[in-house]
Amino acid sequence: MKKALSLLLVLAMVVSLCSIAFAEEAKTYSFEIVSKGFQSTYWQAVLKGCQSEAEKINTEAGYEKIKFNMVGPDSESDIAVQVNMFESALNAKPDAIGLAALDVNALNENIAAAQAAGIPIIGFDSGVPNAPAGAVLANASTDNYAAGTVVAENLYTKIKERIAAATAPVRVGEINQDATSESITNRGLGFIDKFIELAAADGFKVAVIGNDKYVGDSKGEKAAEADANVIIEVRVPAQTTTELCATEAGVVLNQPDTIAIFGSNQVAAEGIITANETLNLCGSDDTQIIAVGFDSGTVIKAAVTAGTMYGAVTQSPVGIGIKLIDLLLASANKEPVQDTDTGCAFYTAANIASDEIAPNLYD
Amino acid sequence: MIAQRKKMVPQKVGLQQLVIVGVLIILFTFFCLMSASFRKYTTLITMASYMYYIMLMAIGVTFPLITGGVDLSIGTGLVCYSIVGSYLMRQMGLPIGVAMAVTVGMGIVFGFINGVVVAKLDLPPFITTLCTMMIVRGLGSILTNGMTGVWPMAGQEGSWVRDLLKYKIGDVTYPVGMVIILLLVLIMSIILNHTRVGRYIIAIGSNKEALKLSGVNVARWHIMAYVISGFFAGLAAIAYACTFTSITPGTGAGLELDAIGGAIIGGTAMTGGSGSIVGTFLGVCLISLLKTGLPNIGLQANWQQIITGGILIVAVTIDMARRKK
Repeated sequence: MKKALSLLLVLAMVVSLCSIAFAEEAKTYSFEIVSKGFQSTYWQAVLKGCQSEAEKINTEAGYEKIKFNMVGPDSESDIAVQVNMFESALNAKPDAIGLAALDVNALNENIAAAQAAGIPIIGFDSGVPNAPAGAVLANASTDNYAAGTVVAENLYTKIKERIAAATAPVRVGEINQDATSESITNRGLGFIDKFIELAAADGFKVAVIGNDKYVGDSKGEKAAEADANVIIEVRVPAQTTTELCATEAGVVLNQPDTIAIFGSNQVAAEGIITANETLNLCGSDDTQIIAVGFDSGTVIKAAVTAGTMYGAVTQSPVGIGIKLIDLLLASANKEPVQDTDTGCAFYTAANIASDEIAPNLYD
Repeated sequence: MIAQRKKMVPQKVGLQQLVIVGVLIILFTFFCLMSASFRKYTTLITMASYMYYIMLMAIGVTFPLITGGVDLSIGTGLVCYSIVGSYLMRQMGLPIGVAMAVTVGMGIVFGFINGVVVAKLDLPPFITTLCTMMIVRGLGSILTNGMTGVWPMAGQEGSWVRDLLKYKIGDVTYPVGMVIILLLVLIMSIILNHTRVGRYIIAIGSNKEALKLSGVNVARWHIMAYVISGFFAGLAAIAYACTFTSITPGTGAGLELDAIGGAIIGGTAMTGGSGSIVGTFLGVCLISLLKTGLPNIGLQANWQQIITGGILIVAVTIDMARRKK
């Protein structure tokens, strides 16, 4: 009897030890991802990237290793809503949090709370710039400043002869949906800074007017409006909606001296296309206004294919989603993580269907 | 008593409408003088295009406002209905006629729901329609799996619907949508002032108890006011989809404020009992003029909002003062 009992006890201990070991191998991870919203199909593509990578990891592991919950406010103006979502995400006690902040300052307190609770934060898309030191371990994102410079380079190449031949100052519009998020401000500033640099190299003077944030933060030598060869007019609507972007774009397109216009994200670019529906001023010809945009989506793709929009820069939203899941998993396992630039490329009607560009475009 | 009030209403509202016409002329002249780009024909077309969906919402919401209520669900509603319409065409391959019918049908259904809750369950219209606003905001995303809505673009099957609002002959674009709007203003004005449904809706706003005591089925006409609002939200959904390139699910909150603001500026009393479709038309024209004109004179976006809000306060103050006399 005693022997049987001891044997049973030993067996029970062995089984529980095994199950602990087994449980450690079958560890599951739960991640919370707070995005800037589902406002454009761009975020749907990021979600797809997350889903495909999570599925791939779960299939390889043979069980549901990763679970994630992606949320976002309805509009990219809903800063307060995102703060609440981040708080809820924290309360769910995830293994790691992914974050694309609408307004970094509004989230600083909650980020500090995450840090105190030992929950690693991975930034994606615009990430979380100026976060408290050590709070955000890495970012999976496009280098937005570099993306802005890519637009400027391609646009400048297209219009520099027109600038040289002009007898009066010409205008280049820039429509940014906001002046607070890292992605938009960096693209806008990247564009302005690069444009000034390229123009100065050819002996042209550039003035920057309009929204105070972009005028104040742009680098390079800026001329007064009266002396400039090129006037970059930066307009930001009161809210991040297509109709307000369209109104601002319309104002710039209507100026008689406008020769080019840049919309720094899908909403702004679609605003330009909407405004152009009535005005019919944009195209790829040297007599028309050269419009350039950002991201893709059905409308922008159609406009670029038709030549109404000369070109646009695409990010790799699916790539961002994939990298985000990888970084979340690594950070949850306390492995070292690093910023990952997921890249961007300029596309026009000529290369929109190419192998390099097509997979990154979405509807 | 009701007949007397009805007689007084057209006179009072008429004066307010004249004031708005005066303000419109002054502002229009001001913007033309201050901005060369505002003076262009295309600016008028653009202003008209961006006005259609607000105008349709405003015509519809005038009816609940006249009953002393409000319909806050029209903004998020129009986005929801139009993305569902888009989903039916793009993902399910259904013809545009079906999509349009479903879009407007959804507006009618939610209008009916609003009406029943307000009229039968006696819940305050503000809360009721606020709840519907939140429900439809999420519903659109759920039904379409979060897909952005895009209605047929130029060259695609079904793009004729965009021609209903803007028709191009050669190089010139004609704002044919204005003809449709003016027709609707005329029809709804007649319905409001010369049919039983209109008179009862006004009576609900001015003296609901008296109407009930006179043996009228008040609930039926009260519901009708919200059904009209929902129907026009459905029409506004189509207009919005035809004007803008894509529709993002979950947006739309705030669009109703332009419509409600337009109706109130136009003379519809917030307390109910009086209103005018012509006044609503003029009120929305004023808001649209400000929205188009202020950016053109170089004002930064936030100043535009401050000025538009200021004008709305002045309009409401004048309305309240007038009614106190």
